[in-house]
Amino acid sequence: MFFHITLERNMQLQPRHFGPHLRDKLVAKLMKDVEGTCSGRHGFVVAITNVEDIGKGLIREGTGFVTFPVKYQCVVFRPFKGEILEAVVTMVNKMGFFAEAGPVQIFVSNHLIPDDMEFQSGDMPNYTTSDGSVKIQKDSEVRLKIIGTRVDATEIFCIGTIRDDFLGVINDPGAAS
Amino acid sequence: MAEKGGKNFSSEKGKTPSNLAASKEGSLKGKDSVPVNKTRHIQLDDSDSEYEGFVDERSPASSKASGKASSDLKSGKKKVSFESLKTGRKTSFETPAAKGDWGKGGKDFNAGKAGGKGSLPRATAVKPRLTEIELKLELELPKNARLLMDCEAAEILQEIEEHKTILSEDPKVKFPESFNKVLQYTKFGSHYINSQSARKVLETLKINGVNDGEICMIGNICPETVEEVYALLPSLKVNKHKNEEPIKEVLASLAKVKTSK
Repeated sequence: MFFHITLERNMQLQPRHFGPHLRDKLVAKLMKDVEGTCSGRHGFVVAITNVEDIGKGLIREGTGFVTFPVKYQCVVFRPFKGEILEAVVTMVNKMGFFAEAGPVQIFVSNHLIPDDMEFQSGDMPNYTTSDGSVKIQKDSEVRLKIIGTRVDATEIFCIGTIRDDFLGVINDPGAAS
Repeated sequence: MAEKGGKNFSSEKGKTPSNLAASKEGSLKGKDSVPVNKTRHIQLDDSDSEYEGFVDERSPASSKASGKASSDLKSGKKKVSFESLKTGRKTSFETPAAKGDWGKGGKDFNAGKAGGKGSLPRATAVKPRLTEIELKLELELPKNARLLMDCEAAEILQEIEEHKTILSEDPKVKFPESFNKVLQYTKFGSHYINSQSARKVLETLKINGVNDGEICMIGNICPETVEEVYALLPSLKVNKHKNEEPIKEVLASLAKVKTSK
């Protein structure tokens, strides 16, 4: 789920950056440091929307670096357990399939795929129902429920299921069940 | 190991040792006798440690004991062995089905034997209210957090993209690749012509006791029937008598604002 939150961070700037464009350099550095990272608490920082406030810089003892407390707003993405998401399948193998929803990778194990779907290997490995009506293969869109999450420094990884009602392949009329 | 793990799991204060004991028996057959500790206070982890394991800590390692009782695997599924899946990866996933060995993968699980930092007894919750509890976790986020539906996020990110194309003329400025991925995802996920109208419609649900997270999910999923809403968001069933009609109306209004997709 996406959130728009305010975060604060202490940015350190080297003396060579001081000058008329100090603020711009600070913002650029902030963007470079923060966008695309992940934290357990906030999830994945997608983009900074604006910088609210830059506090007074404090010169650090012993070096010429200056620390500025910066308050900024950003869009973050954080998956929750129990959340329903629509994702695109990226890989299928006999253990299950991988899907991607934004910055998040989700794995759905074959145990969490309905029993009537079986793995078919081949050029395009896929999961198909016995009557062939529903197929899950690379680039299929599926609706899944997240049942577990794990956060790394740069990415979030989740486990999902499509076993429940109304989950499964999208855009097939009779598919989600 | 306990310390490491302890860092990750901010304590769930209401847990009783008896729960831990029950879960410790380690039976993987699913003990549905484990009580739900409803007074549990779920707290998010504060640290940004590298081993920041799981966003959600409520289904702890001990949950494997009640793994099968866990209601999100409603039909008593087989245990999933993730070790075979992820070669060489020690950390296993925190799901009710995950193995999450007590000893192994210690960096994510505080087995709680020594108690770590009081991240102790995890109630092995039987979780009929998983979604509800889960969504309540959002309250732990800073108060200024605003929930965005996919369509709203798409609009914001689109604006940012436009600014960025201007900025990108400056060769020094770089953008993370993930930004494009997310932008694409939000576009793919937004079903409405106009996010403000969708938001307006969904806000009316607030007075019926539907919380922000649930409203957001309904917005994102775009359900067609009320049954679908209740199936996907079981937490709403609690107030079914109160919110069924409003939800029906909201779904009808949303259908008008949808793009044809």
